[in-house]
Order: sequence, then structure tokens, then C-alpha cells
Amino acid sequence: MDINVKVKPNLSIRAFYLFFIIASLQLGVGIMGAPRFLYKEAGTDSWISIFIAVAYIFAVLFVMILTLKQYENADIFGIHRDLFGKWIGNLLSSAYIVYFIVTLFSVLITYIEVVRVFIFPTISPLTMGVILLILGIYSTLGGLRIIVGVCFLFFILTHWVLLLLIEPAVQIDWGHFFPMFQTPFPDLLAGAKASAYTFIGFEILFLVYPFIQNKEKLHFPVYMSVAWSGLLVLVTTIITLGFFTGVQVERREWTLLSLFKFQQFSFIERLDFVVVAEWMMVIIPNIILLFWGATYGIKRLYNLPQKITIYALAVPLLIGCWLIDEHFQIQWVIEKVNGFGFWLVYVYPFLLLPMVLIKKKWNQHRRGEKNET
Amino acid sequence: MRKAKRKATNSFFPKKVEELKQVLEKEFVNSNDLSYSIFESSSQKLAVFYLSYQVDSQRIENTLLKALLEPNKDWTVDSLLNEIPINTGQKMDKLEELLTNLINGHVFVYIEGAQQVVSYLMLNIEHRSLEKAETESVVIGPQVAFTESLVTNLNILRWRMRSKDLVLEKIMLGKTTPKEARIIYLKSVANETDVQTMRQRLQDLDVDEVEDANVLMQYIEDSSWTIFPQFYSTELPDRASYAINKGRVGVVVENSPMAILAPTTFFSFFESTEDLYMRWNAGSFLRVLRFISMFISVMLTPMYVAAVTFHYELIPTQLLISIGQSRANVPFPPIFEALLLELLIELLREAGARLPTKVGQTIGIVGGVVVGTAAVQAGITSNILIIFITISALASFTAPSYLMGTSIRVLRFPMIILAGILGIMGIVFGISFLIIHLLKLTSLGRPYLTPIYPFRMKDINKVLIRFPQQFQGKRFLSYRPKDKVRFNKKKAQQKKDIDE
Repeated sequence: MDINVKVKPNLSIRAFYLFFIIASLQLGVGIMGAPRFLYKEAGTDSWISIFIAVAYIFAVLFVMILTLKQYENADIFGIHRDLFGKWIGNLLSSAYIVYFIVTLFSVLITYIEVVRVFIFPTISPLTMGVILLILGIYSTLGGLRIIVGVCFLFFILTHWVLLLLIEPAVQIDWGHFFPMFQTPFPDLLAGAKASAYTFIGFEILFLVYPFIQNKEKLHFPVYMSVAWSGLLVLVTTIITLGFFTGVQVERREWTLLSLFKFQQFSFIERLDFVVVAEWMMVIIPNIILLFWGATYGIKRLYNLPQKITIYALAVPLLIGCWLIDEHFQIQWVIEKVNGFGFWLVYVYPFLLLPMVLIKKKWNQHRRGEKNET
Repeated sequence: MRKAKRKATNSFFPKKVEELKQVLEKEFVNSNDLSYSIFESSSQKLAVFYLSYQVDSQRIENTLLKALLEPNKDWTVDSLLNEIPINTGQKMDKLEELLTNLINGHVFVYIEGAQQVVSYLMLNIEHRSLEKAETESVVIGPQVAFTESLVTNLNILRWRMRSKDLVLEKIMLGKTTPKEARIIYLKSVANETDVQTMRQRLQDLDVDEVEDANVLMQYIEDSSWTIFPQFYSTELPDRASYAINKGRVGVVVENSPMAILAPTTFFSFFESTEDLYMRWNAGSFLRVLRFISMFISVMLTPMYVAAVTFHYELIPTQLLISIGQSRANVPFPPIFEALLLELLIELLREAGARLPTKVGQTIGIVGGVVVGTAAVQAGITSNILIIFITISALASFTAPSYLMGTSIRVLRFPMIILAGILGIMGIVFGISFLIIHLLKLTSLGRPYLTPIYPFRMKDINKVLIRFPQQFQGKRFLSYRPKDKVRFNKKKAQQKKDIDE
């Protein structure tokens, strides 16, 4: 395995698309339940927690880009190989792959549960799993450029849903946010941590970085994407907390979706049905990016062709969807993913950077010695 | 053995005229059509031969035969070429050359004992006159359509684009019955890669016969499994010349009234040349209308089926009551009802296309009005569904490309079935699948959904809506034309202050 990835020019993508890749991976099932998790920890000051979380993610992104810049054109797998050698490096890289797979799984089962709660109580999770995986496999088979296209188009095609929030937004009771600034700081931090699962997704940068054509323009779309998803979570949280009382928020599982019940037109009502179905188009970029990440990683590490691993991966996922369909099981999975992801996504980059820098220094030092002799 | 044969063909002439006749009759299986006449004067013998239906016999009599019958004249090969007033004369001496040219409409004159035979091209092609476009009819703008004759088509195109840069590259297609095709592009504008790709695909084509331009299109398309056409086939010369002027590659085939245009985007199937002839705002409105009607055509019936089968909650009470009343007597599930009616509409359309025009209208009225009313009264269908189905059928005909319109109509059926099985989830699944599918398609190697993805801001104003002319200074940049600029934008946008 090479440390640096050689990308054919016809497979590379413009940095501009990073905005859509990262934002559409961040906005997925997480945002549906985010207000509740935030409220549980930080109460009326939840919105401050979001600012803290976004600021922290900016720091993580800064570190990630700095790490990647130390190499010519490497991804996380190459960096691991360079730093830790074959065995430990592969082990760490495999952790990333496993993380992608379990996140993918958590997205799948969460969405299937939402559909079963909101639209079809009787639909078999197997059927839902099949249609989601068909779309996932079909677009992943097209390669990264198609995947980016799906992210881009679906991102644009789903944002009209926000317009349906205008109706509840004008009915907000601002009294729900008072008293302000009363929550102790540790609780705010806990709130920020509770939103970790919502904001997960920017770690895909570690994988797509070698595919970026114009790396000098990388910063703006990356930070903007996190800012955009932060803004959306902020807006939805404010509307949710302002519209519902605290007790109502705590009682509802996917508070955001309940908001869509309040808009109605003369020819259609109960738009939460439409939104939940439309949410499939929010989920699909998640599924295919994670699918691609996992299979691409396996290809990089073990040289298995993606065309085989995609199908090989789909079967256990499907069986998993079928078996794990109880609410408490799904919550358990999400909790585990949350814990696992937190360390890997939010903490690990800070450990990686010093190691990369030390290794680089050491290499330069050794090269200098060689030149002297 | 082989050498000997070649020698024989080389020394084919001189021959006696009777011998030549025998050879020709032997070579041509169907020699009834071979007209072979011998002129004898005192000093020499002349033979004139041609295929009777391939040539312009009026012209032969007036020019050639009249001259040959001039008394007391000794003809030589040179005097035949110089003194007879036909400008297509040439010498030939090989038998094979002679045979192929005989089919292509040459008239031959042979002087007994000469080394060569003289041939004149006096081709007579039967062709119909120019007519109005039928499948792509337009309200304003040029009405003329291509015909089946390649010569006519090239003539029209040349006349529309009197540019020295226009290349009409000749290429022969098909093994058993070769047909002439032309690759048409503007040398100074068209992207080299596109031209090369098209040329390569045509050259690599290994088939016995190319029936029509639409068949050729399917031979050389990027993906043959999809339902969407990837090249635009048009019968409008102004559309062809417009596309070629913008740097695309056109292909016309002998005996086909269609020209192929490539590469093509998905959106160009909803553009009509009429959009250009209208004012920009009215043209944009019509174009947006076409996009909306495509959406309606694919979605309306499936949404009805989904809502009525699974999601009554979606419909407000007032509307639900009237839908419920109209469906009260219908014994079938909505999916069956919708499929039945869609099929009926398709049946009417297909019958209308096949029937003679005089009968067609009657059948249309009987089928549409009488059967529709009777079906509602008999309680087989609900009248609300009939409204929906008629709207979606009408909407599908707004696509200027008949091929795209047909694709959209076919797409409705899987969508209805998905909606009938999975409700609204099925619809979203179908739409997502379609979008991913469209993303994967390419046309001549270029993405099908440009300029939406890969996104190119400067091309959007040519695709979704049409901006006023002064914003159209650039050609379609996604296809990387050689010459990007149409006109100087700055000059067109010069602004003046009030009262200057």
C-alpha cells in the first residue's frame, strides 16, 4: 500500500464539493433528535452548547487539515501506515472502517424505525433495508464522482423542507428561553457532547482529501459546511424549544419531525409524512458516503475490490436491520456508536497531529545526517 | 492464381462491344435493368450503357445521345470528355470500379478498341419535397424539416450555415448495404475530443446495416440499458444548425429524416428552438412549464395512488370527502384502477398514431370521451383519477423530443406500481433511483446532468431558464468548445446614464 494516493485526474473533484460532502454527511438522522438530547443536558441554554460544539469542531478540522498537509497526497490509511507500520497501522485503520460500518448501520436502523413510527407501523424492516441498500449500492458502484453528485443534488433537493418550519417558527414562545445564561458550564459542555452524534461526519475529509483537485481552496468549503450544519441545528433547536415546552420536548423522540405537522395547505396536510419520506433523500448521501468510506478503506488496506466488498457488506447490514428492530436495541447501538465515534472523531486527531509532526522532524533530522556523511 | 486475376482486370480493355455486354450481363444478376445500346457509324462502334432507373433519362437523351448521333464524327476518349456538355465526365479502366459506379448512377460510353471507358454521373434520386415538421412542430420560427434524402439535408444545412469552417466529414456505415453518413461540426468551435469520439464510434461500428439515424443512435450510445435517449435526434434543421453552431457534433445518415446531435444534456430534451425565437421571459416561462409538466407527468398519478391507498391523512378533510364520494362505487384497489386507465390512455395514443388521420379523430373522441364517461358511470373508475390521468398524459406531450416524451410515459408505470406497494416511500425511492441513474449517464462521455452536476454557474442561464441575449455571450462551457466566446459581452451590456 502506498502512503500517498495517486488519483487519476478524471476522478478528482473540485474543493467546492467538499461543502456538500461534509454537510450532507453531518445532516442525517442525528438532527431529528438533536433538540431533545441537547435539552436534556443543557436545558434552556442549549443554543450555547451548539456554539461550543461548532467551535470545537472548527478546531478539530484545523488540526485535521494541518495533519493532512504534512503529506503530499495521503489519506488517513496512508498516514497510519507511515506512522505505525503495517500491523498497528492497519489495526487503527480498521478501527476507522469499523466505525464507518457501524455508523452506517446506526443510520439505517434509526431511519427505518422513524419510518415505522411515523408512516408504516407494519412495514418489514427488511423491505426498508432492501430499498435503502439498493440505492446505496447502486450509487456507490458509480464511484466517488457519482457519490459526490448524489450528495450535491440531494442536498439541494431536500432543503425546501426548511420552508415548512416557517409556520411553527412564527408561533415561537420566546419565554421558553428564559432565564438565559443560568446553566452551569459543565452542563453546557455535556450538551455539546450530546450533539456529537449529530455533528459526526466531517471525518470523511481524512478519506476524500487525496481526491481534491484544488487543495489550496480547501479551507473555505470545509469550514462553511460545518458552519451550515451548525446553523441548521441551531435554527431547528431554537424552533423546537421555542415551540414546545420543556416537558413536551423531553417526551418526544424525534422532536424535529413533530414540528412538520403544523404546516398545512388546502390540498395537503400532515406534511410530516412527506418530510419523513423525503428524509430518505437526506439519508442516502449518508449511506453511500459511509458505504464508500468503508469499502474504499478495505480496498486500500487489504486490496479487496470494492465491487465485491459492497455486496459482501450489504448482506450483514441487511440481516442486522432485520434482527435489530426494537427501540431499546437501536438506542443501544446509537449510544455505542456515539461513544466510539466521539473518541475517534473528536479526540483522536489531536493525538495524531503531534505524532505526525514528530515523525516529520525526525525524518528531516535523519536526512540531514545522511547528507552530512 | 490471384496474380493472374489481377492481370486480367488490368488488361480488361480493349474489348469488343458485344463481349463487354456479355461480361456485364454475367456480372449483374438482375441484368434486365441494364440498358445497353450500340451505335454504329462507318468507322467506329460505340456502346452506351447504364442502369435505367438510376439515371436521369431525360438528360441522357438531351445531352449525350443527341451529341453521339451527330453524323460523320469520329469520337475518341478525349473528344468525348471535351466536346460533350456534361461536366462530370471521367475515365475509367477497371471492371470493379465500373460496376460500382454503374449502381451509383453513372452512364458509360465505350468506344470499341479504346483503352478506357468514359463515364458521366447522371444520378437521378427520387425524393419528396420539403415539408413541415410533424413530430417536432413549432408555432413560430422555421418550419421546414429534414427529408429522407441526404443530398437535400446537406443542402439545407449548408444553406443555413454558410461557413468555411463547416466540416461535413464523409463516412460509410454498414457492411452489406453501405450507407453514407456525415459527421458535421464547426472546425473552429467544436471540441476535438467530442469529434474524435464520434468519429471513432462510427468507424468502429461493425454492423450489416444501419436502418435509420435513430438506430445508429442506439448503436453508438454510451449506455444501451437506460430508458433515456442520450443523443438528441431532431428533424428540424434550425435545431441542428443551432447545436452545431454552439460546438456540438451532428450526424446525418442517408435515407433518414433525422439528424443526431451529441453530446446532449438531459435538460436539452426540454428545450425547444421556439424558446429562442420568443422573448426571453416568455421563452423561459415555457421552458419552466415543460420541466414542471415532466415532474407532474411522472408524479401525479403515483401520488394519487399512494395517498388513496395508504395515506388518507395527507388529504385535507374537504378534499377527502369528494375523493371518497367519487371512489365510493369503485370496486378495485387504486393501483389497479390507475394502471387500467393509464393503459387506456396509452392505447388511445398508440391507436391514434397508427390509424389514418381521418379515422383517428373519430376514434379519439369515441375512446376518450365516450369510454371515459361510460367508465365513470359504470363505476369502474373515479372521475378524479380520470382528471389526474388526463393531465399527466397531456403533460408528457409537452417535451419537445418525442423520444423523451415516450420515456417519461413509460416511467410512469413502474412509479405507479412502486406507489401502490410502498406508498410515499415507494415514490421517494423511485425518484431517488431516477436521479442517481441520471447522474450515472453520460452522453458522448460527457455527464448527462451538466451543468447541474458537474456544477457550472455560467451555463445555468442557458439551461433551466433563458436569460436575455446580452448574458449569452459565452458558448456552453461545460462542453469545452474551442472558441468560448460568441460575442463581446461588455459591448452588449454597455450602460448609459439617464439622458445621455
